[in-house]
Amino acid sequence: MLRANAITKRFGRTLALDGVDFEARPGEIHALVGENGAGKTTLMNVLAGSLAPDNGQALLDERPLQAGSPRAALTAGIAAVHQSPMLFERMTWEENLALGGFDTGAELLDLAAVAARARALAAKLGFDLPPAGATVENRSVAERVRLEVLRALSFNPRVLILDEPTSVLAPSELAAFLDLLRNLRGEGRIVVLITHKLSEAIAVADRITVLRRGRVVARTIPAETSEEKLAGLMIGEIVIQPDASAMQLGPGEPVLQVENLTLDDHTRRRILDRLSLRVAAGEIVGIAGVDGNGQTELVELLAGVRKPGGGKITSIGAMAVIPQNRDLDGLILDMRLWENLILARPLREQVTSRGWLNTSRAIDLSRELIERFRIRAPGPEAIAGALSGGNRQRLEVARAIASQPRVIVAHNICRGLDLAATAEVHRRILDFAADGGAVLLISSDLDELLAICGRLLIISGGTVRETNPGERDPERLGLLMAGARD
Amino acid sequence: MLSSIAKPFAALALAAVLISIVLAALGASPFGVFAALGGGAFGSWYACVDTLVKSTPLIFTGLAVSIAFSGALWNIGADGQLTIGAIAAAAVGTHLENFPHAIAIVIVLAAGALGGAIWGGVAGWLRARRDVNEVISTIMLNFVAVQMLSWMVHGPLMEPSRAYPTSSPIASAAQLEFYFAPSRLNLGMLLAVVLAVACYSLLFNTSAGFELRAMGRNRRAATFFGIRIPALTVWVMALSGALAGLGGAVQVSAISHRLYEKLSPGWGFEAIAVALVARLNPLAVIPAALLFGALDNGSQAMQRTQGISPELVQVIQGLVILIILAFDTPAWNGLRENIFGASSDDAAAVPPVAEMPDA
Repeated sequence: MLRANAITKRFGRTLALDGVDFEARPGEIHALVGENGAGKTTLMNVLAGSLAPDNGQALLDERPLQAGSPRAALTAGIAAVHQSPMLFERMTWEENLALGGFDTGAELLDLAAVAARARALAAKLGFDLPPAGATVENRSVAERVRLEVLRALSFNPRVLILDEPTSVLAPSELAAFLDLLRNLRGEGRIVVLITHKLSEAIAVADRITVLRRGRVVARTIPAETSEEKLAGLMIGEIVIQPDASAMQLGPGEPVLQVENLTLDDHTRRRILDRLSLRVAAGEIVGIAGVDGNGQTELVELLAGVRKPGGGKITSIGAMAVIPQNRDLDGLILDMRLWENLILARPLREQVTSRGWLNTSRAIDLSRELIERFRIRAPGPEAIAGALSGGNRQRLEVARAIASQPRVIVAHNICRGLDLAATAEVHRRILDFAADGGAVLLISSDLDELLAICGRLLIISGGTVRETNPGERDPERLGLLMAGARD
Repeated sequence: MLSSIAKPFAALALAAVLISIVLAALGASPFGVFAALGGGAFGSWYACVDTLVKSTPLIFTGLAVSIAFSGALWNIGADGQLTIGAIAAAAVGTHLENFPHAIAIVIVLAAGALGGAIWGGVAGWLRARRDVNEVISTIMLNFVAVQMLSWMVHGPLMEPSRAYPTSSPIASAAQLEFYFAPSRLNLGMLLAVVLAVACYSLLFNTSAGFELRAMGRNRRAATFFGIRIPALTVWVMALSGALAGLGGAVQVSAISHRLYEKLSPGWGFEAIAVALVARLNPLAVIPAALLFGALDNGSQAMQRTQGISPELVQVIQGLVILIILAFDTPAWNGLRENIFGASSDDAAAVPPVAEMPDA
């Protein structure tokens, strides 16, 4: 039995956990649900030993765990999969996994044996692995999460804690992943699943604990609750999802045009293959697809980070890009909030005259945006790294919209966000389109795309295809994403 | 701000205690030694000016390193850039006999800055266009600069009698004069201070400086937001080199008046310690350079009066740096927060991935 007794954890003036009691039994999947900032991740970090609580204690089988020692937690049999994968960017995936617990029977490091065991485990789970010898730095977020799940499982843990693991998995991978969790449960292990997808929690969990603002507000079982009830418990009110169908999208002028975009990687593997698309003013075009089919590269080409091998990108007016990996690409975590906002050139130009930066104007502008976009932060001078995931995303959305672009290109913008934050980000995007903006939304979350996109494209193998207007059947779309032809 | 100035002094005091223990163990009187050290560095008007003379090249090179490091460009080549700046200044300076003083000075300093800028800019270009690690290229360019200096003073720039491996003195018009001679007080020191303020202003009050810092903190994010990393890399390395080269030109124009081998005792390397102690803040480079200059200068008096080897001063310098860096920890920041209240200019005091409540 994994147990947390009256855990309290404070960050500066913020009370992240306030006397939280939690328990999970062997042979159960225990879902931990709550809003961004409710304290789910903090609780996981305390259980996994990466944070020492100010008060209270974590116990496994009534034996206290050494506070603040990940190594002790691991030795006791607790492995964690973090929301932002903790991998070594410049090392190969095999080297990253070698730091896990695969037993190769050799005294010396045997990367081939590690890779072989990882492949065996991956095959069992239905996971794809990167090509041999690939470094982590260019892998997609989904691939990173899979690597981290493999690494955690390599320790053969008695307790597996997963922080929002499913938000980056493709629909085709999800079923296999949930089966994996059920298998682990069948083996008598304890699985703690942190998630904001309430349908998932209800489908797979045996028990559910709901956190709100650092406190446990409910403990329940799926049979006795519903998504609506859980959502109400989590946020204390019912969220009204924005309704995209209410938006009448007139065909405006084309704002973003991509023609025959082609890109090869350094091994001459074709990443993008004559990809063409067009986004008109006032419309939201979605690109659905399994991660790793060229989405990241497409965003990088649109942002101008790399140059295409062939083809053309034409954009009428300015473009704002929201990259998927907000902590690595979108934000500079150890710079201040206002500095992160003026990273966008249009905002920087607003507070610059003849090359001189007007700091106090930048701070005023940031204060305005913090208020307008309801970013929960101590103020413009706070370090971006001190914000929760949801607020970091609000910051990115605020920056993109405040830059007053004609086009917004957004990649997996709601990954790891809770209901309220997701609804709010979607509302901002819908408002932007309603005001005549063009949006290209690239996502591996089909629900999100179906909720707000007027037109849906499928990306697979580096090229996109239009879906039939009105095609809304997730199963058929899932097949298309997996590469099927109609 | 106040506490970030107090910290190096606390570290200095702790270093002094440790050194006292070592000295006592060696049978010397710690008090006598420190009195000699302090007296040698600050005991008289001339001692103070000499401390300034020794600190000036460290301010120039310290600024060079601070600017480059702020952009995460690891310029280890300030020594080579200073050397090339000195060569350029001396080569030009010998031909300025008939120029008005002010113009001759400007030409000599500009030549030094240009020489250093080219030397740093080459490393920047190699990084930007050929992806050559600037640590390696700047170290290699240091070797080239040292040998070029040696060749110059044995060859093209050797003094006419060809008896000594030095250049001819530069024209008197190109020499920065001393005020209150025989003290060596000169305008080069003022220039160093002005440049420190200018560098601070560049980093924190301009759009270009913001781009430079953004590149230093997160190159990928900077790329995503349209900051042109290759061009910025070349400019930053050229600017860094220009600052170091200017230091070489000031040294030639004000102090040495000629070239000789081993002109720099390693200012470009000491500059890395200066910049790190100053935490890359250009304004803090001034006190940091003064600290190192004072230790250098005081060591000579210590050696004369107490028979302590100047090597011991290097031991002291090493300890001071280690202790300052050791003080620069989250634990220390937390302690400081308790004593002085939360300081807004310290990222380390904030837990890195704390969740703010949605309230």
